[in-house]
Amino acid sequence: MTLAGREPPWRVLAGFAAVVAALAAAPLLLDAYTQNLFTLAFLMIAGALAWNWMGGYVGQVSFGHAAMFGIGGFVAARLMLATPVPAPLAWLAGGLVAGVFALGAHPTLRLRGPYFSIATIGLGEASRLVFTYWERFTGGASGLSLPLVAGGKEALYFWGLALAAAVTAASWAIRRSALGLQLLAIKADVDAAGDVGVSSTFLQDLVFVLSGAVVGLSGALYASYFSFIEPNDMFGFDRSISFVLMCVIGGIGTVLGPVLGAIVFVLLRQFLLASYPQLYLGLYGILLILIILFEPLGLTGLALRVRRRLRRKPPRALHAAGPLASSASANEEGC
Amino acid sequence: MARLLDLAISAILLAGLYATMAYGLGLIYGVLRVVNLAHGGVIMAGAYLGWWLHDRLGLDPYLSIPIVVVVAFAFGAVLYRVLVRHLPRGAAGGPASLLLLFGVWLVLRNGAYLLFTGNDHALRTSYSTRALPFLGTWVSVNRVAVLAIALVVPAALHVLLRRTYLGKAIRAVAQNADSCTLVGVDVERIYTVTFGIGTALAGLAGLLSATLFAFNPAFGAGELLKSFVVVVLGGLGSIVGTAVAALILAVIEVFAILVLPSYLTAAVGFVMLVVVLVVRPGGLFGERVLG
Repeated sequence: MTLAGREPPWRVLAGFAAVVAALAAAPLLLDAYTQNLFTLAFLMIAGALAWNWMGGYVGQVSFGHAAMFGIGGFVAARLMLATPVPAPLAWLAGGLVAGVFALGAHPTLRLRGPYFSIATIGLGEASRLVFTYWERFTGGASGLSLPLVAGGKEALYFWGLALAAAVTAASWAIRRSALGLQLLAIKADVDAAGDVGVSSTFLQDLVFVLSGAVVGLSGALYASYFSFIEPNDMFGFDRSISFVLMCVIGGIGTVLGPVLGAIVFVLLRQFLLASYPQLYLGLYGILLILIILFEPLGLTGLALRVRRRLRRKPPRALHAAGPLASSASANEEGC
Repeated sequence: MARLLDLAISAILLAGLYATMAYGLGLIYGVLRVVNLAHGGVIMAGAYLGWWLHDRLGLDPYLSIPIVVVVAFAFGAVLYRVLVRHLPRGAAGGPASLLLLFGVWLVLRNGAYLLFTGNDHALRTSYSTRALPFLGTWVSVNRVAVLAIALVVPAALHVLLRRTYLGKAIRAVAQNADSCTLVGVDVERIYTVTFGIGTALAGLAGLLSATLFAFNPAFGAGELLKSFVVVVLGGLGSIVGTAVAALILAVIEVFAILVLPSYLTAAVGFVMLVVVLVVRPGGLFGERVLG
């Protein structure tokens, strides 16, 4: 499993290719409902991973990513309604505009920790208000209906899978690259990182723009997926929180965590909205509290803990290896 | 001209409420270095508690102040003992405390949905619509009462922090917790009490807002952000600074009606939050909040 992103590349690539291939073949077996759920999960995976670049890799927790999600969705929707451009181009345009919009958050990047988070709440809520009342663009509270995508939901499944796979691969590549190390340095100590030559302002801008663009792209696909969008849903505070929740549930800052978190989030939300709609906010709250208190790395941390426990009790024949074996396994885990 | 006077009066009356909301957030951050994201949730809960006491027991909202304050204090103290105590603080805490307290807020919101549904409620008393003549205009009785209480709160806080032994201990812990342990101050107890006081102030602010505005379980998000603007603008450790910052925010918000369409005035606070954080993170007065 690629939990920490330090396993041998060939194993990761083989596993990744196998999963993507299996998912690409899956529509042959899945019924329409499950397939749609998968599509939604793909879009959320892409969004969560992109949030994680900023929130996990750089350590700047944003409570305002709904702004980019909404802009991506509405720009793509407007383009598709006004011009005959093919849907994928409209999605791309939505993602690009969202990325440029994210650049507008530049002044907030000098803030650290809670100050950044609170400033992003302000930015997100201000965007929500402006776009809700900008009726000529977003259709106001009554929202917009979108034209159907060529190929319908079936095609969206594959577009979603492609997006999720590409963003997962990018997350893994960033984690292993010099860029990933620089981001880690910024997270650990922004001043010290600057002293050793990491250009923290430029890198944070870059990551925020990339993160915003990908979230915008997933917002654009989401708009086509639902074929109806409405500013209070797209720009809502709950939307911003959902990205945070997915990453916290799965394991903030890890490569696979947001993927796991997004899957759990989508399933849990589907189940809760169907069975206990009156409890779903509070359940997320309790989940958040428990994870922060007991397992800050979420599901990933839990998996690592289980694996460590399994390795600590090797079969008797291997006991001779003793401490060497355990230190080697700790290295391999890379945490 | 009469319109300007009206706006100025309503700005001053609003400023009192903003200051009351901000003291709790500022006190907790100043002493514990934790941004209490549950602040908005407690404001909402305070509003509901006041409404419930009035609706079920017929208790006047101003008479229920002691009840709300005591309940909120107890809630804050328990919150600290059970959850917040276990978190890393300051810069090392990173997003952990933010996310945890955010979880508490979600639970509070869900609790309010379960108990009172998502509908808007308002605390209406026999004198809710009554107004007093003042300088040729009319001023709502409720707003004057809220301002009066908002003037008592900082005075009481000042006496507590400057004139009592507990206040001295709180200020000492804010400066250097380790030294306090050395001279025998029970730091954990001070933290518990401080978190309780901060939460009690949030509950009081919620009760006061309930007499002025309609509320629902999502109430409190805007209030949290406004409190944060006031805390950052006013700087820490300055009771006067907080009051002036609350007045500035209220004046800008109220007078924005003159230049902005009404639906956008709600965004003014959010934009101001970002501008203040970026341009004057040190605040106008008092100690620098950032870094």
